[in-house]
Amino acid sequence: MFPVVVVVSLLFSGVDRKLHARMQQRVGPPLIQPFYDMVKLIHKERIVPLTSSPSIFVSATVMAAAMALLGASIALTNVFTGTSFMGDIILILYLLVITSILMMIGGSSSGNPFAAVGFSRKMTLLIGYEVPLLISVILVSAKTGFSLSYHAIISQQAQMGALLAASSPSMAISALVFMLCIPASVGVVPFDLSEAKTEIAHGSFIEYGGLYLALLKLAKDITGFTMSFLGLTLFFYLPAVIQKHVALNPWSTIGVCIAGSMIVAFLTITLPRTVSARAKLGHALKFYMAIWALSLVAVALTLVGL
Amino acid sequence: MGEGAIDKTRDLKYEYSRLILPIGPVHPALKEPVHFKVTVKGEEIQDVALSLSHAHRGIEALAETRNIVQNMYLVERICGICSHTHTTCFVQAVEEIKGLQAPERALYLRTLIFELERIHSHLLWAGVMAYEMGFDTLFMYTWTAREKVLDLFEETTGNRVHHAMNIIGGVRWDLTPDMIQRTSRVVEDIEKACTFIWKSFQSRTADKRLTGVGLLSTDDARSLCVVGPTARASGLTLDIRRDDPYAAYRDLKDSFSVALDNGADCRARLEVRMKELQESVNLVRAILDQLPGGDIKPADSQVRLMRVPVGEAFSRVEAPRGELTYYVLTDGKEGLQRLKVRTPSLANFAGLKNMLVGGEIADIPVVLASIDPCMSCTNRVAAVDTETGKETLIDFNDIRRRPA
Repeated sequence: MFPVVVVVSLLFSGVDRKLHARMQQRVGPPLIQPFYDMVKLIHKERIVPLTSSPSIFVSATVMAAAMALLGASIALTNVFTGTSFMGDIILILYLLVITSILMMIGGSSSGNPFAAVGFSRKMTLLIGYEVPLLISVILVSAKTGFSLSYHAIISQQAQMGALLAASSPSMAISALVFMLCIPASVGVVPFDLSEAKTEIAHGSFIEYGGLYLALLKLAKDITGFTMSFLGLTLFFYLPAVIQKHVALNPWSTIGVCIAGSMIVAFLTITLPRTVSARAKLGHALKFYMAIWALSLVAVALTLVGL
Repeated sequence: MGEGAIDKTRDLKYEYSRLILPIGPVHPALKEPVHFKVTVKGEEIQDVALSLSHAHRGIEALAETRNIVQNMYLVERICGICSHTHTTCFVQAVEEIKGLQAPERALYLRTLIFELERIHSHLLWAGVMAYEMGFDTLFMYTWTAREKVLDLFEETTGNRVHHAMNIIGGVRWDLTPDMIQRTSRVVEDIEKACTFIWKSFQSRTADKRLTGVGLLSTDDARSLCVVGPTARASGLTLDIRRDDPYAAYRDLKDSFSVALDNGADCRARLEVRMKELQESVNLVRAILDQLPGGDIKPADSQVRLMRVPVGEAFSRVEAPRGELTYYVLTDGKEGLQRLKVRTPSLANFAGLKNMLVGGEIADIPVVLASIDPCMSCTNRVAAVDTETGKETLIDFNDIRRRPA
């Protein structure tokens, strides 16, 4: 599953860059540009700064990529083969969060003041978006019989023959909350303050080059893919609706899910990236306080039974 | 890289209460190299130290080894964005020493290219401002609009940036009626694009980055002697085109008004530049309407006109970034004894500390971009005072008495 995850994530990144360019009246890079970038970066020199602690600096990149890869593979395997275990949805989310945190830790261990600023910004922003994200996922599992199993959530939708987001108001609100948290967790404008290019010169990524940068970019792209995939399958499991009309085998199921995640990725990653400016920390936190309020509304609705 | 080097870093003492961010000379927020040492605590800026001259090219020294016509080309290359303003200022100084008056039509054409350059410079600035805010799409859009102006430059003068339009006593290229039509059409497109750009800057995320950021009060602006849109956004009415008219601005006094705003923050500077874009469009239309007939070149050749007697002149123009002043001292042998250029960006840098202290790190690129710094313009003269630590007042007499 690992090569599939890598290929699909990089393709998602390529599509995102191409669409972003087209929306700006540019031609844009070819769709497989991220692959070219990976290959080129692997051949470049790896510099470990003198003021860094080399063990954390290097291992953070490898671990970040590994965690992201693992999280994405679990999600894909679940949908493809149906193998699942209890608590795997929490595991997937944990792996994605740990990926972001590891990227920041690696950056801050480099000893660069810009990376230190990026680290502090990310930690502050983490409070803003992680809690609503987790709340919405917990509400989803609460609605689907209190099992923390990813497959249970999917099969519930398949049994109902309806999308989870369309089934009850609290689920609709949870879907909205989840989608609004995706830009911050992936790190795109308007919430890419921890890697702001013009302000802090790429923040945590500033001292990385060569293979380390390749691994970090891979981790970031995989996070983007997995968050959109989760967003789609948890709330808008399209095969559930399609199989009422057409019989689906595992291959077409996964195909529909990937195509659907591309639409989710477009709406939550590419579109905000193109049409808005970067938010400052204060404004981003205010925005996420509103999302907190929204998720608490969803909790209230769930408790009531809606 | 042996044991000694690693031991040195182990001895570093870190001061954890403050962080010193080195902005530049290489930084994505800067178009050109300059160095700011910004001391921050958390996200709040406490102090800013400026160090210039990373792009020092020794132009004023070079000017003393070249003749006047060569110097015209030299000063053009001080800056790519405002190249015509530099040549205009220089040529005006030389014409003043010689007592030469360029023909009417030549003055109008000089002004036309001047205003078109202001349009392209402000469009470039709008793009850079959007980029510093993270608003990539608007950056791409403004620069697409700017391409139309650059194409116009290429069709009129032969080049997109360094136009070589000015010659001593006149201009080089004339406008055919065909080109006049085309210019008015391009200027209409630019007007529409500017309305769209202005609306995009009103969007919520962009507005939050601009309002209340980088405040420079009127008194500070006056005492620090900032010029151009930076000063006009803090309520000071300074515009050389109106206060000390040159080229065709005397005749065109009624065709434009000075753009003012009292906000004193980055949004005010944006508003002033957007208004100036509209004023420039109006001016271009007025010039095309009132273009007089006649010659554009002087009767004599450049080689003969180069023989300028010994004399000095001080000329100033309103470049897109503010007041540009030239002091020219000729040596009577077709060359220069002294050339002194004071660009507007050098004056505007003085206001940066007031604007930045008390703000956030996120405001640094936005404030830097709002004064529209042109480091290539600024870095022809080394700022020696900071090295020696001495404060010297350089006045007009010192410049004259400086040995050749």
